[in-house]
Amino acid sequence: MTPVTQTAGPPIRTARRGEPVDPVFLQIRDLVYKVSGIYQPEEKLYLLVDGCGRRIKQLGTRGPREYWDLLTSNPSRDGELRQLLNELTIGETCLFRSPAQIEALKKVILPELIADKTRQVMKKLRIWSAGCSTGEEPYTLAMILLEEAEGQLKGWQFDIVATDLNDRSVEAAKLGTYGDYGLRNTTDYFKRKYFVAADGGKTQIRPEVKKLVTFSRLNLTDDSKMLFMKGMDLICCCNVLIYFDGASKTRVINHFFNNLNFGGYFFLGTSESLLNLNAQFHLIHFPGAIGYWKPSLTGAKP
Amino acid sequence: MSAGTVLNIRERVSHIETTPAIPAVMVPLMKVLNQPSEEVDIDEVVRLVSYDNSIAAQCMRMANSPLFGLSQQPKSVSAAVVALGLHRVESILLTCCMGNAFPVKNWALDPLTFWRHSLGCAMVCRKFSEQIGSKDSEKAYVAGLLHDIGILANCIAFPGEFACALGRAHEEQLPLDDAEVATMGFSHCETGQALAEQWKLADEIIQVVAHHHDVARATSSRSLVALVHLGDLLCRMRDLGYGYYERTKVDMISDPAWAILKEENRGLDRLDIARFTFELDGAVGEISDLVSMILGPPGSA
Repeated sequence: MTPVTQTAGPPIRTARRGEPVDPVFLQIRDLVYKVSGIYQPEEKLYLLVDGCGRRIKQLGTRGPREYWDLLTSNPSRDGELRQLLNELTIGETCLFRSPAQIEALKKVILPELIADKTRQVMKKLRIWSAGCSTGEEPYTLAMILLEEAEGQLKGWQFDIVATDLNDRSVEAAKLGTYGDYGLRNTTDYFKRKYFVAADGGKTQIRPEVKKLVTFSRLNLTDDSKMLFMKGMDLICCCNVLIYFDGASKTRVINHFFNNLNFGGYFFLGTSESLLNLNAQFHLIHFPGAIGYWKPSLTGAKP
Repeated sequence: MSAGTVLNIRERVSHIETTPAIPAVMVPLMKVLNQPSEEVDIDEVVRLVSYDNSIAAQCMRMANSPLFGLSQQPKSVSAAVVALGLHRVESILLTCCMGNAFPVKNWALDPLTFWRHSLGCAMVCRKFSEQIGSKDSEKAYVAGLLHDIGILANCIAFPGEFACALGRAHEEQLPLDDAEVATMGFSHCETGQALAEQWKLADEIIQVVAHHHDVARATSSRSLVALVHLGDLLCRMRDLGYGYYERTKVDMISDPAWAILKEENRGLDRLDIARFTFELDGAVGEISDLVSMILGPPGSA
């Protein structure tokens, strides 16, 4: 163990765009991408620098180079990578977190699914928020669908399944109360329409949104339970795959693929990729967002 | 498209004028670009770059950009030429010249938006080309930079018609070439081809300009046309498009261009498209800065 010192070495520069960064952070970025599929582009490199800075301070490591050693040598390696990934993804969640994914859903994916399903005379959509944390993502999806129910989804039924490994998260999600931080991306229009004031200055999601979402506890590596999550049109799984490694990650991704309907879509976090762990998924670009597509049965593009 | 339309396009494009000071650099530059590199005189290139103070300053700024990846920042034009290598200097010079070559009053499309897309596509095509192990990445840069000169031709030679097409593209969130064909009966591919032929650009560049929206129609340089097609799509999906939301999705590996590119570039299947995309996001800010620098602050043009 590195001896704990009062001063944690030279101060780590917080990188803003155009400022030079210690090249070791670029190595750390590559390592993080290789193990997790999460990429910090240049403009967000400061998040990585800040995250490493916090870990360096907590551990009393002398600087980024010593920290790199911790990340790459046994026995600290696996545990420290997990800690760093936590630092990088913590507190990211909020309602309406990924505007570009929401636009893609409304403008490209829904019209495509509607056209597809109308041919099959099935006016029903099934969506899964896997690793839903305290409910921000499934409630966002529910509000979007409620809005679209006044337009392109008129007369459609939808059901949103939301699961998380953590019991306490699931309970909090069912309650559906949020503070200002969780609502930082929520416009006044949505706040007025779908929320009510709750105790302690919090804001609570309205019952008509809640009733669209079914919450339950689920371990994504539980093969027998995963078999029952069939028939999905869209699966969202944001910053969750980082908690799995190697074979179990591939297995979870294969479950997602199998549980999607043909022509269905899979969304990860905004800077997260599948690292080519499943070659059957097609990577799709939407304006400002990427997603994965399970090709329709004919193999043809819809 | 009727023969009359083709004639009309050629007639109107032939009246496009560049600003007088620039061609003095651009004409010899085009010649240099078409020469085999061993025949290029380095002093001549330094002289060309230094010919115009503002061009020289812009080249230095570009040479110092992290996007060109030099480990040490060159202090003089000749140091920059040596460090960057001839072909890269030529493409930087071309970028600066192109940005300055046209009067940009009253364009239907904001010139900053146009050049952001062109420079973005140039950068993406070069990097794409490097990553798949293609030999000539500077050629890919030039092809990316020039692929949409038809839009420039439309802004100048068909201002009213093109404004309608652009308005329709915005309103219906359509790809620009679809909106052009629906509104005008032709697209920037045809006007671009006329302009490229008039400028006597290399045949491979003409192929790119004419067929980057329909790679199958290219009669030669198919691999380069396919590369630019994909680079263009990627830019439009990552905030380097024409400044509006295109209601569309791109499945790169199912695109016919992917298969064409793969015929000559075995390295294509190893490309991590997601990572490539994220890296591009990191370059968008710098690309915008470079374009603002080349065109000057908004409103000064």
